[in-house]
Amino acid sequence: MNVVAPLRDRAIRPGRDALRVLAASGQLGNGIAVTAFRAGLARQPHVIGCDMGSVDPGPAYLGSGRMATSEAVTRRDLRLVIHGARDVGVPLIIGSAGTAGAAPHVALVLDMIGAIAREDSLPLRVAVIHADTDRAWLKQQVAAGRVQSLGRAMPALTAAEVDASAHIVGQMGTEAFLRALALEPDIVLAGRACDTAIFAAVPVMLGYPEGLATHMAKIIECSSLCCTPGGPDAMLGTLHADAFEIESMNPIRAATPVTVAAHGLYEQSNPHEVREPHGTLHLTDARFEALDHRRVRVSGARWADAAQPSIKLEGSSWCGERAVTIAATCDPGVIAHRDAIAEGVRGAVADILPDASYDLRVRVYGAGATNLYPGARTGITDAGEAFLLIECIAPTADLAKAVVGLAKQKMLHFGFPGRLSTGGNLAFPFTPPELSAGAAYRFSVYHVAECDDLAAAFPVELVRLGP
Amino acid sequence: MTGDGSAPRRLVDIASVVRSKNAGPLHVTLDLMFPDAESFGLAAQSPALSATALAELYGVDPDTVEVIPFAAAHAIKVVLDRPVIAGSPGDVDVYGAQQHRPLLGVVL
Repeated sequence: MNVVAPLRDRAIRPGRDALRVLAASGQLGNGIAVTAFRAGLARQPHVIGCDMGSVDPGPAYLGSGRMATSEAVTRRDLRLVIHGARDVGVPLIIGSAGTAGAAPHVALVLDMIGAIAREDSLPLRVAVIHADTDRAWLKQQVAAGRVQSLGRAMPALTAAEVDASAHIVGQMGTEAFLRALALEPDIVLAGRACDTAIFAAVPVMLGYPEGLATHMAKIIECSSLCCTPGGPDAMLGTLHADAFEIESMNPIRAATPVTVAAHGLYEQSNPHEVREPHGTLHLTDARFEALDHRRVRVSGARWADAAQPSIKLEGSSWCGERAVTIAATCDPGVIAHRDAIAEGVRGAVADILPDASYDLRVRVYGAGATNLYPGARTGITDAGEAFLLIECIAPTADLAKAVVGLAKQKMLHFGFPGRLSTGGNLAFPFTPPELSAGAAYRFSVYHVAECDDLAAAFPVELVRLGP
Repeated sequence: MTGDGSAPRRLVDIASVVRSKNAGPLHVTLDLMFPDAESFGLAAQSPALSATALAELYGVDPDTVEVIPFAAAHAIKVVLDRPVIAGSPGDVDVYGAQQHRPLLGVVL
């Protein structure tokens, strides 16, 4: 079944036709709400898009090659959208495959789609877009001074960091999806992608203004999160030549001018512009008008092509194996002396393991352990009870576990001035309290690199699945 | 009580949303949203929400704080550098979703 050509053949044109884009899910694999999705299908969308990824859950997924969502729910969601797109006869576009969008994530999702194609006897053409960054190319860009950090917390990129990273991906833009759509697929499965490109690609392919298409994509990519009450239900965007309308496919969710404008702030550092690989979306002149009590009409977004295309890169490095011990205390003396006790325990462990390399931390919850800014005035006062998380990252899981075991034992019996409770400083909720937490990762790359050949950075291949 | 006899106005009394979240792994953003143009205007003009005052509140360098009013959404966005990259060893809040606490005590 051919689903891309008919969109072109029907000559859907801005100025004459409304183009309907259905955002099925803000994170495929977390359970797509069926009722709202079916309501969206009933509106005969021209394309269905799903975002699968995010950098939010941290570096472990990109580093390990694993997905953040469960395999069972991911498979269920994939089956739902594959059949939905097939029933309506339109392309399905999936971006940031398997959470982080590197080669192992794309392979996992492609396997799942293959299994569904076989089990349900569906012949499927899948255009796969790879997002893994070529390391030799990246090191050349580093050497040429064409790579910049995206924030003060991240140092300048080095060739050594590039080599040490487990995976490095670039965020692809609309350009890559257009090349994939040219292969006439039923499904586009993309590695790491800009959330917007997933939903803007078909509108741009059909000649709709890139500014409006990208702004609409930006709003609907989190499905109905831009509504009140916000939620994960499918969202429909209807695009015209000069404006677009958005509407939640769950009737209880209302998009209002303020909720939609406010969504522009979400997880963004600048509400006035959104940078993409080949240009920038400018939102300063965006206008939001209520069409009725739950639909909003948006206009005014502008697109400016970049003189120099660039790619936002994400990389993750293994930094050791993690083990933790959990414990609690209700002794006011232990809570008051927590810093001195932790320091003493650290020294006692170092005396026993003088030559070992490890990273030991004691986090005291109930005493400000959630605060990221050490000098902040949080107004938090000491609680009557505190939770302790003793954490170690070490080169081996055995060493990490040994260190937290030692730290636990030292802390249980550590002395402090005025100690009355000599039976032990800690309450353990279960035994053994030492837990291996698996590999620890850190973001090693979060940079933008100038790129003269986006097509080479994001290669496309066509895969045929099913009978 | 202030000079005109009205009680000092706290941010939490007029804001409809006070939230924090990562904007990528290198920044935390604080979003302050208000129900109408009037309360937004009041907050946007308050010296307690200037970059300098917020830097002091969070104990950070003022050069690392950016305050962006967004009138269309009756909202003010504040962007802070993260002292630790999200999810790196030593991070305490991978999503950055619990860094709004100091704002709860702000008097406008």
